[in-house]
Amino acid sequence: MAVITDTTLNDDRRRKGVDLSWPTFGFLAALLGVLVILPLFWLIWYSFRTSGRRPEFTLQNYVSLVTDPAMLRSYALAIGMALAVGILSCLIATPMAWLVARTDLPGKRWIRMLVTASFVTPPFLGAIAYEIIAAPNSGLVNIIYRSALGLSADSYLVNIYSFPGLVFAIACFTFPFVFTLVANALDRVPSDLEDASSILGGGAMTTLRKVTIPMVLPAMLAGTLIAILQALTMFGSPAIIALPAGFHVITTKIWSLFQFPPKPGLAAAAAIPLLLITIVLLRAQKAILGRRGYTVLGGKSGTPRITELGRWKWAAIAFVGVILSLTIILPYLALVKTAFTGTIGDAISFDTLTLRHWKFVLFEFSATQLALRNTFVLGVMTATIVTAVALVVSYLVTRKSLPGARYLGVLATAPVAIPGIVLGVALFLSYANPMFQLYGTIWILLIAFMTIELPAGYQQMSSAFQGVHPELEEAGRILGASRLKTLWDITAPLLRTSVVAAWCFVFVGTIRELSATILLTTANTKLVSVIIYDLNESGDLGAICVLGIILLAISFAVVFVANRLPVLGGSQMNARG
Amino acid sequence: MAFLELAGLRKNYGAFQAVKGIDLAVEKGQLVCLLGPSGCGKTTTLRLIAGFVPANGGEIRVGGKVVSSEHSTVPPEGRNMSMIFQSYALWPHMTVFQNVAYGLKLRKLPADEVRRRVDEILASTRLSALAERYPGELSGGQQQRVSLARALVIKPEILLLDEPLSNLDANLREEMRFEIRRLHDEFRYTTVYVTHDQSEAMTTADLIVVMNDGLIEQAGSPEDIYARPETEFVARFIGGTNILKGRRGDGQTVLRDDGLALVCRSGTVAPDGQTAVSVRHHDIVLSKDRPGDSGSNAAAGTVVRQIYLGSHRDYLVSLKDGETVRALAPVDFAVPAGQEVWMRFPPERCRALSR
Repeated sequence: MAVITDTTLNDDRRRKGVDLSWPTFGFLAALLGVLVILPLFWLIWYSFRTSGRRPEFTLQNYVSLVTDPAMLRSYALAIGMALAVGILSCLIATPMAWLVARTDLPGKRWIRMLVTASFVTPPFLGAIAYEIIAAPNSGLVNIIYRSALGLSADSYLVNIYSFPGLVFAIACFTFPFVFTLVANALDRVPSDLEDASSILGGGAMTTLRKVTIPMVLPAMLAGTLIAILQALTMFGSPAIIALPAGFHVITTKIWSLFQFPPKPGLAAAAAIPLLLITIVLLRAQKAILGRRGYTVLGGKSGTPRITELGRWKWAAIAFVGVILSLTIILPYLALVKTAFTGTIGDAISFDTLTLRHWKFVLFEFSATQLALRNTFVLGVMTATIVTAVALVVSYLVTRKSLPGARYLGVLATAPVAIPGIVLGVALFLSYANPMFQLYGTIWILLIAFMTIELPAGYQQMSSAFQGVHPELEEAGRILGASRLKTLWDITAPLLRTSVVAAWCFVFVGTIRELSATILLTTANTKLVSVIIYDLNESGDLGAICVLGIILLAISFAVVFVANRLPVLGGSQMNARG
Repeated sequence: MAFLELAGLRKNYGAFQAVKGIDLAVEKGQLVCLLGPSGCGKTTTLRLIAGFVPANGGEIRVGGKVVSSEHSTVPPEGRNMSMIFQSYALWPHMTVFQNVAYGLKLRKLPADEVRRRVDEILASTRLSALAERYPGELSGGQQQRVSLARALVIKPEILLLDEPLSNLDANLREEMRFEIRRLHDEFRYTTVYVTHDQSEAMTTADLIVVMNDGLIEQAGSPEDIYARPETEFVARFIGGTNILKGRRGDGQTVLRDDGLALVCRSGTVAPDGQTAVSVRHHDIVLSKDRPGDSGSNAAAGTVVRQIYLGSHRDYLVSLKDGETVRALAPVDFAVPAGQEVWMRFPPERCRALSR
């Protein structure tokens, strides 16, 4: 005890220690500046420059943008497609969300799990699955249709290579966004709001119409906007479906401007409206969800009301069954079947089962191993760096330890408004010039992935930090631990699960990226997603399915392993804050 | 020289002045309560003492050494203080034992010494049986005691408490008040305790410091603060009171506009302009007839409402000019609303307040 009480506050204890705050801040500010601001700067800069040996200022790129009918058409088609996707997603997802959240539908947990799992599916893989199912000549449905009715080889029932086909294929990928938002909102509408309506004399339908639906309307709108945004900025599915159908949407049009002869200036100009639309849509979404007093968050009371379906039960099951089959089950079955049979049209029997595609992909096709390694290495690097940067940035922002820290947060969130294809153009312009010879290396892909994934990583880490009460850290300080020691002993263990979750999230997001990758990849830096796209051009669907299954298996394995890691037990985590 | 000294201490957040220059001296072993409404600067003062926030002016000295000034701040870990937080701030990933042992391990004590001292403090806070539990498995009161044990085990030079009882339910709060006082009597740490609850301050403190708007209104013993308030704010904040405003009369007399003259046996009357008198609710004597003995310190009024509270009756009486006075009377003194009643303000219970 003498050891302690005799400790006096000598002047030498007033040493400041090495203060790492400012160097860290400077480093992060520079890093985020390079990742976020620099590419946007070059994007805007080059959109005003002529191409060629002696570039000079010009407005010609913008003039071409608004006068070229092909360009305008691709924008119009993209917007039309995106709106159609948004509406279709909302129409599919809202009734499903209601059935799952508010009725006695059997198997609700499974439905939720299936829909959540479909988040993991890369959208371009879904598009390829619909090629297998519904291409006019080789599509499974059309083959069966023809052989059943004995029709000629050029007749078909469904055609995925069409505008409606494209809308359908993308909506299958985007409806989970609406579903999740609406289902969560319905979970949170406190039942006493509905009880209040009933006690005042409102019948079941009136209550639904006047109370429940208005309460979840913001979630519906917000989800629909996300679906629209996803559709508008997506590259993979349109490239796979719209190009054979003979039309361009804006993302594929921008990509085509990099084919010979390249027109990077025009591509930059074409990317800027897309960037602006994204920013507007995100602001709108934020405004809708952010209106306080209208949100359905914070209801604490009771379990939500459950409606008994009664005789409508079978209709509901049929509806959900059809939706899930079309969007998730059939595409997966198609992928698996194609991976194990010789050609798409083969019937499934012991004779047609083959590992030919697996052998080809794993041992014969030279690009696979390089692509698998690149994908894995980039995934791990991106996930690690993004998680680390997000961790430090969110620490600085939530603990307000430095005056300018919140601008780091703004920078880390900003890329959410940069569509992948736009970032691809911007990075190409930034790093394919003689000054930075990064084009053709995997580093330019690393930069792209870091920028794309930063907002997601940052959002996860900062909400994790908000869950750790600052007093937990202060308690460590006052008992005698330095700032770093406190971080290590107290903050780090409390954040471990969130860090692992964020890492997985970023990893899974990275290995399926295609929109930015497609502009930045070269023969030496192929990734699995690009190989899949290339193979699709050459029509080798069996090999694609094998690669797709490998990609999915890695994603699921990472998520599974991360959830099983012996991190923190449950019981001691209940007492936060 | 006092052990803990605050001299001209100031703190602002941007344009907002949270602490506007306070002076305070705390003797070794004393338990001081910083008491005031929310936003009065009491928590900021505590965090300044702890070293979580740097000062913008003035000094904090512990044992004569400056620990905070405009120019330098000893970090919290260099102060050998400990603190009990409003949220308890128990680390959810450590057991009770690990939570309590943390500060000792930082001090690199040998393992058997750590175990001995943790066991000792757990026994004295009646937590021995819970040593291997996690905080999430404890009740609010148990968590509070772990928080106390964790703070006390390192034998701090100064113990800081930030509204430690505000998260407990009423019964437990009462019990913990006495527990904190008992532990203080046992260990005699110099303690600074922040609360907005005056009865908490009355039970625990040697010295109550009433704060308002970033300044100290009054510092004194619980009795000083209650019986001899110096400002209207203190009189109102501690215990509740009637404030009657008037002008200075002869000597210690305050004259109200309606003719009531109040002779005050204590306090200071403002030399000119408005001045005030504080009379506690239970010090007013009610009667049906005019009290015979004096011309001053008595007035008639109309009962506005009257509530039966079992042990006494709570009256609200309106004076002629509309001013209302709250008074407590014995249960058998029952006058219905609307009727006239006489009030006597005993001079020895009237406290003159100059501000």
